Amino acid sequence: MPVDVIMPQMGESIFEGTITKWLKKPGQRVERDEPLFEISTDKVDAEIPAPASGILKEIKVREGETVPIKTVVALIDPDGTTTSAAEPAQAEEKPAEMPAPTEARPEPAPAAHASTAAPQPVSGEDGRRIRSSPLVRRLAREHNIDLTTIRGTGAGGRISKRDILAAIEARATAPAPSAAPAQPEAAPAPLRLEAAVPRERIYFGRYEVQPLSVMRQRIAEHMVLSKRTSPHVYSIDEVDMSRVVEVRNQAKAEFERRFETKLTFMPFFVRACVEGLRAFPALNASLDGTNLVLHREINIGIAVALDWGLIVPVVKHAEEKNFLGLQRAINDLAERARTKKLKPEEVQESTFSITNPGVFGGLMGLPIINQPNAAILGVGAIQKRPVVIHDAIAIRSMVYLTLSYDHRIVDGAIAHQFIGKVKSILENWQENIL
Amino acid sequence: MKISLTREQHLELYYYMRLNRSLEERLVTLFRQNKVVGGLYSSLGQEATSVGTAYALEKRDWMAPMIRNVGALLVKGYRPRDIFLQYMARYDSPTHGKDGTSHFGDLKERHVISPISMLGDLIPVMTGVALAGRYLGQNIVAMTWIGDGGTSTGAFHEGMNFAATQRAPFVCVVENNQWAYSTPVRRQVPIRNLADRARAYGITSYIVDGNDVVAVYRVAKEAVERCRAGEGPILIETKTMRMKGHAQHDPAEYVPREMFEYWQARDPIARYEKFLTRQGLWTEQDKQQILERIEREIAEDLAFAESSPFPPPELAEQGVYCEEGYEVKPEWQRPIEEVMPPKASVQAVWQVEDFGGIAEGAVEVIEAAAAGASDGTGRSVLRRTSPRKKKKLSARSKGR
Amino acid sequence: MAQVTFLEAIRQALFEEMERDPAVVCLGEDIGVYGGAFKVTAGLLERFGWERVIDTPISETAIVGAAVGMSYLGLRPVAEMQFMDFIACCFNQITNFAAKSYYRWGAPVPIVIRGPSGGGVHGGPFHSQNPEMYFVHTPGLKVVYPATPYDAKGLLKSAIRDNNPVLFFEHKFLYRRIKEEIPAGDYTVPLGKAVVRRQGRDLTIVTYAAMVHTCLEAAEQLAQEGVDVELVDLRTLLPLDRETILQSVRKTNKLLVVHEDTKTGGIAGEIAALVCENAFEELDGPILRVTALDTPVPYSPPLEERFLPNVNDVIRAARELARY
Repeated sequence: MPVDVIMPQMGESIFEGTITKWLKKPGQRVERDEPLFEISTDKVDAEIPAPASGILKEIKVREGETVPIKTVVALIDPDGTTTSAAEPAQAEEKPAEMPAPTEARPEPAPAAHASTAAPQPVSGEDGRRIRSSPLVRRLAREHNIDLTTIRGTGAGGRISKRDILAAIEARATAPAPSAAPAQPEAAPAPLRLEAAVPRERIYFGRYEVQPLSVMRQRIAEHMVLSKRTSPHVYSIDEVDMSRVVEVRNQAKAEFERRFETKLTFMPFFVRACVEGLRAFPALNASLDGTNLVLHREINIGIAVALDWGLIVPVVKHAEEKNFLGLQRAINDLAERARTKKLKPEEVQESTFSITNPGVFGGLMGLPIINQPNAAILGVGAIQKRPVVIHDAIAIRSMVYLTLSYDHRIVDGAIAHQFIGKVKSILENWQENIL
Repeated sequence: MKISLTREQHLELYYYMRLNRSLEERLVTLFRQNKVVGGLYSSLGQEATSVGTAYALEKRDWMAPMIRNVGALLVKGYRPRDIFLQYMARYDSPTHGKDGTSHFGDLKERHVISPISMLGDLIPVMTGVALAGRYLGQNIVAMTWIGDGGTSTGAFHEGMNFAATQRAPFVCVVENNQWAYSTPVRRQVPIRNLADRARAYGITSYIVDGNDVVAVYRVAKEAVERCRAGEGPILIETKTMRMKGHAQHDPAEYVPREMFEYWQARDPIARYEKFLTRQGLWTEQDKQQILERIEREIAEDLAFAESSPFPPPELAEQGVYCEEGYEVKPEWQRPIEEVMPPKASVQAVWQVEDFGGIAEGAVEVIEAAAAGASDGTGRSVLRRTSPRKKKKLSARSKGR
Repeated sequence: MAQVTFLEAIRQALFEEMERDPAVVCLGEDIGVYGGAFKVTAGLLERFGWERVIDTPISETAIVGAAVGMSYLGLRPVAEMQFMDFIACCFNQITNFAAKSYYRWGAPVPIVIRGPSGGGVHGGPFHSQNPEMYFVHTPGLKVVYPATPYDAKGLLKSAIRDNNPVLFFEHKFLYRRIKEEIPAGDYTVPLGKAVVRRQGRDLTIVTYAAMVHTCLEAAEQLAQEGVDVELVDLRTLLPLDRETILQSVRKTNKLLVVHEDTKTGGIAGEIAALVCENAFEELDGPILRVTALDTPVPYSPPLEERFLPNVNDVIRAARELARY
């Protein structure tokens, strides 16, 4: 019996995923837990390990294809033997024509019903899972009813037999609009990435066409959405980092020896932001229509540049962590972001974000807000510059901090006070980091 | 009791023993050709016990063979083909391939009960057969065999004890072939003579040279008739030897070579051939005729067996329950009214004659050494131990 | 029509079957002169004599073995286990000899092994068990476990007339506690057929034996809360009446299985699997189980009360399922 390889659910609200790369070819041997393919989802990119040892019998979903979670994407034959390399290539060409594995039993198994039906939405608006029952799903299929249109009255909002029978009844008595099942209207339709100019003006001369990766597409969508949603305002200030540089230089060797983790500048900025956000909670907030959601916890998203894009893992409960804890969390998340080992929940639920264009030498950057945050801090390069102190020119380690914030939520006054607070903490660093 | 055999009966005993052995020799060949499905068990050396005991049964009597009682099955009317087919798991076998070896039977004609692999379980079952036969007025005897090792089971004890309390017409043949798989009899049973176990049940027992077919027959015949006459169950211990391993896979290296040699010199068929010649009961021509007949029968039956198909796979799903076509009818050979009310009605009270005490202050010691006395010569002796002749072993009174 | 106890119904069945057919005989420990530990066989010996009512030694293996042997000659023995707990002593005779006989070599074994089982009478670990599932797992056997006097009599008669080995469990808690009017004459209740004891709309409870009464009581209380329970009494566990179970589930779409047997390996698991295999898309909720604890049957009353499922356990589970 072949073992199904399925598209995993990489988070509560995730309902589809894209295969970005197959690491094995059909016919090749694969060991259980060995990386088998790479996927990209709305939230995270990940390497998926094989569920069983055996021969990769068939790939059913090709690279670049997006399928719902729980879809069988490949089959592993635990008892199989390796085949020649020629066959798999062919199998890869036409996966759709490969016969689906069928049970020899004459009785139709329940699973067979499910597969013949149009895929019932397992999730409603905002990807929330719809709770029903096997009976409800069958009745919905038979009566062509979209479960997202039914309000469940069972335990935990489950759509019960009574609910679906009522819906069938209601439709039978009401003038039926049309048989076409409605699209779930509130589902966020993915933004189409439109070219700013007619397509023909794009293609000229010699060129190469590269399809955007899923991650790139998501970034693009997110940036357009953020810019379109939030009126961005930018405030910039300059911070003297000499004290921090001195503290770091003094402690670095001992810190790294004692805690066996790298000492960077990032935890200094995170710590300063945490204090700033405590003082000005409006920046640690999200806007929901006409409600401002003030987050009680401070979860700092930190942008990590990857060779293939950008991801923002989140240091959760930064307000509860000491300096070492922050540094460890930052290093750990960054490392796992680069090795595709982040869990979906680790890129969710940020309340404020920091990006660090300075690492690549940027003097400063004006970042786009990471929705649904109210603001994002950009950290420029730390450079020695001549500055005037008490009418004398001194050489100090300086950095430009830029704050992009949603003017719907925050005004300049608050933003500047926040930056002032951050600046003050950094310039007068008190905390013992060892 | 005067028990004698005609010349024809003597030759018939030879025919069955020889057929038993030739059949099993052919099975070994089939086994090595991979035509036997599963294990193959040999009764080499035990033919006289199997044939001699079963030969004492009448057609109406019932028996249940054990794994090494091919000879008994032949005597009771089965043919070599049935054994071949069973071992080869073919559709025409008595069990249609659902079971193998000697695991088959026939309620209607031959009165044979199929054994199961769990030893001892046949003893209570055959007790039930004996009781049912008596209840129906059929005047039958039930017989089964058990090995030395099988007497260690609880079922053996429960069955013997129940048979004894009911005085069931039941003959239990204990085939003491010295080995229970690889374990010598002495590690199974701490007494030399398994017949001594009968004392505990208060029943009559015999010990007989199991490799002397005539002696075995005489003992069995006497036991069967005493049972039939209502004397209660009887146990016969036959002293014999399993000359092969437990089954084909077992070379029996654990058996001392000298022990094989001892018993080889007492081979039941060779001895019986000498006996027939010495007694002038046959000629060389008679012998050749019997051997040719056996060869022919085995060849014919093997050809039949080999041409039999394997069972159709769907047979596996059939016949778990008997829902229709139940054809077993009780054969009443007494007036049914006797067992029906009001005639059957009784007073429900026990008649208790013995109140169970011992002489006041008495102590009785039964020394272990006194149990299991035997001359151990292995000669053909007919000796009887009966509870009625129980020797008073020792009695002392110990005053307070 | 007269009111008779569960025990009396069983005794009537034995009497009537022995009157009807001289092939029926009884054997067991203390069943004759004494009339059985629970007096189920009282009066049989006086009426039918020593040959047909056999007091045996304390030898469960011999009792069942002898019954099997008798059946080969056309008799229909009814063997009593003084307590069904002791059936473990003759497990081999039942599962290997009796159960496989017809399949292996075509020899039917029309025997009945009957006896008192079940808890609630403070019998302790060895006089309270429900060992039915050891045997439900054995093809070739039939396993019957009635809940009412009417069924007990009719099913025992069917068991005696059946051509297969039948295990007949008599819940001792019911022996003298429940009474029912039953027809005086001959009637049978077929083996392998469940019965719907109560029609309902909201959920199905499948159960058997003493738990039928527990569940009926629970159903009455649930009805006052507006939960309409359908109750299926299995009566025979092997062969299982799949159709009646599935029919009821197709009607109510929710299933609760209740048994006094312990949970793991109990028939509830089998029924849950049956329903999932055959009526998954009829289910409007999870299949729930209310059973005894996975422990031996303890002796002391508070312990045994904790061990056994009760009306409140059933009500709680049914409420949860109805609300789901």
